[in-house]
Amino acid sequence: MRSPCILLCDDELHILRAAQFKFQRAGYEVLTASDGEEAWAILQTRRPDLVITDCQMPRLSGLGLVARIRQCPATADLPVIMLSAKGFELSAEQLHQRYGIAHLVAKPFSPRELLALAEEMLQPQPPAAAAGCSGPASEHAPATG
Amino acid sequence: MTLFAGHAKTLTRRALWPVFLGSFAVGTWMLLALLLQDVPGRALASLAAMGLATIGYTVGRWQARVNAAAIQRALVPLSTLDACGLASWTPELPGDVGAGWQPLALALQQRMLELTRRAETLEMQRAAAEVRLRRLAAQRDQLDEILAGLGDPVLAVDAFGQIVLANPSARKLLGLPAATDSPLALERIERCETLVGMLSEASRRRVPAQRTAELALTDEEGRTHWYRLCCRPLAFSQEGGQAAEREGPHGAVAVLTDITGQKAIQKRNAEFVSAVSHEMKTPLSSIRAYAELLVEGEADDAATREEFLQVIHSQAERLQRLIDNLLNLARIEAGVVAVNKAPLSLNDLLAEAVSVMQPPAEQKQIALTSDLSPLYLGVLGDRDMLLQAAINLISNAVKYTPAGGQVTVRSRLSDEEVVLEVQDTGVGLSPEDCQRVFEKFYRVKKDRDMAPGTGLGLALVKHIVEDVHGGRIEVSSQLGQGSIFRIFLPGLRQLGG
Repeated sequence: MRSPCILLCDDELHILRAAQFKFQRAGYEVLTASDGEEAWAILQTRRPDLVITDCQMPRLSGLGLVARIRQCPATADLPVIMLSAKGFELSAEQLHQRYGIAHLVAKPFSPRELLALAEEMLQPQPPAAAAGCSGPASEHAPATG
Repeated sequence: MTLFAGHAKTLTRRALWPVFLGSFAVGTWMLLALLLQDVPGRALASLAAMGLATIGYTVGRWQARVNAAAIQRALVPLSTLDACGLASWTPELPGDVGAGWQPLALALQQRMLELTRRAETLEMQRAAAEVRLRRLAAQRDQLDEILAGLGDPVLAVDAFGQIVLANPSARKLLGLPAATDSPLALERIERCETLVGMLSEASRRRVPAQRTAELALTDEEGRTHWYRLCCRPLAFSQEGGQAAEREGPHGAVAVLTDITGQKAIQKRNAEFVSAVSHEMKTPLSSIRAYAELLVEGEADDAATREEFLQVIHSQAERLQRLIDNLLNLARIEAGVVAVNKAPLSLNDLLAEAVSVMQPPAEQKQIALTSDLSPLYLGVLGDRDMLLQAAINLISNAVKYTPAGGQVTVRSRLSDEEVVLEVQDTGVGLSPEDCQRVFEKFYRVKKDRDMAPGTGLGLALVKHIVEDVHGGRIEVSSQLGQGSIFRIFLPGLRQLGG
């Protein structure tokens, strides 16, 4: 039974490290990216079970990343949690309707609560047979990649 | 009436006395002639009678003229004297005439005095009314001028929905023709339904309450302006602090105040609060996350605990710097900052700034190096402020330089000035951005997603350098190549290092 795989994306390396530390100790496999482009590059080769991304990042923002994820058939149904220090400027309802973002977590956040939220989201999914993140998602990689 | 009848009787008696005398003589003569039965004598008597009658009539008429002239001379002053003169006037009538005319003259004097006083009162009232009229006309001209000079459009309508007043600003904004004699219907205003609706409603309202609304209007140049519309009925007056109805609605007045600037400030303030909030939440997120990991015993080994504590420490310092930036900028702008100037070494200060910024630079894989002058570069300055300025410049360079880039801090002597230079290999600035990059809240649009920020850091640096230390700051940059920020400060003294 493989460990669930999480893709963490944040340009604040300290936050990335804290979340990575928490999820790894909980038995998750964690992939990290420091901006949207880097995360998208990872998604061309790996298929995580959940993406947790910051909103404001250089090169490609969190919303830009999610838009690409939704446009690509291989990643369109990937669950996403968005972290944001902006909070009140983004409506969770709008994010859900327009981008299919499951949850909006406002910074500062609790790693424990973030882990609990991720576990809740991943619970219904039956565990995959193979360990680790599933194979490349690039079979249906979009031209925009 | 009795008085006048008496005077007429006297006049008649005096003037006709010669006639009576002549007639009496004629009668006597004719009686003698009849007694004498003498025809030639009767004829002579008739002639004599006619002659005497004529003489009597002439004398009587002359006497009447003399009397009338005397009376006229005596009464002439009545028509020329003022009230004071009339009060002290005494009629000077000729002896026998005066006795009869004295009461009439005195009665005339009283009447004339009364009329004169009344005329004087009326004249005073007329003069006062004229003064009031002139004052009102001046006030009206003044109000017209004020209304014409008002930048805020003002519009008034009567109870029938006719525009009775529109100052030039209102005419220009609402596309109304220049002032004409014929009134315009309110419905002529096509650009703003809200204004028409509120004015119509207010002109019918019986409660003197003011109503406001905010609306956007596009001017002739196609620019959109925001206005606050205040509308109130005109038929009510405020007396003794309570609304008193006069005669029901007479119309309504609307004043449009341009609040485009306020709206922009509100938007900028909201963006600023959002940016500051974001800036504060980012280090706070790290502090909270690592503190929670430590408290919940997630860090098993001492090295991990040490690492987490270091992160908390560095992020707390980052938060402190942000708060210092905010407070110092506010203090400098308010002129209440306490400046503690003392001689200090610019090189020592820069070394400290580089050491503070080394961890974030390393975290972002940016090579932060220093190339400091071997000379002692003395500056008379506030150490904390100059350190903050140097850290802000380096922090800015690190923020906008991609991973793998280079940030170099230099110092040198140039004539009588010491120069601090921060060069990066970052994204660079356009010439327009170079002009505006020191403005408060200004952030380069294309780089906003690259790094969070409040647009305060460089504004504060400029204030510290120019306003507090009498120096200057400049930037040279090329898009995609990087930027060089230079601070020039008056040198204290130069000694061999």
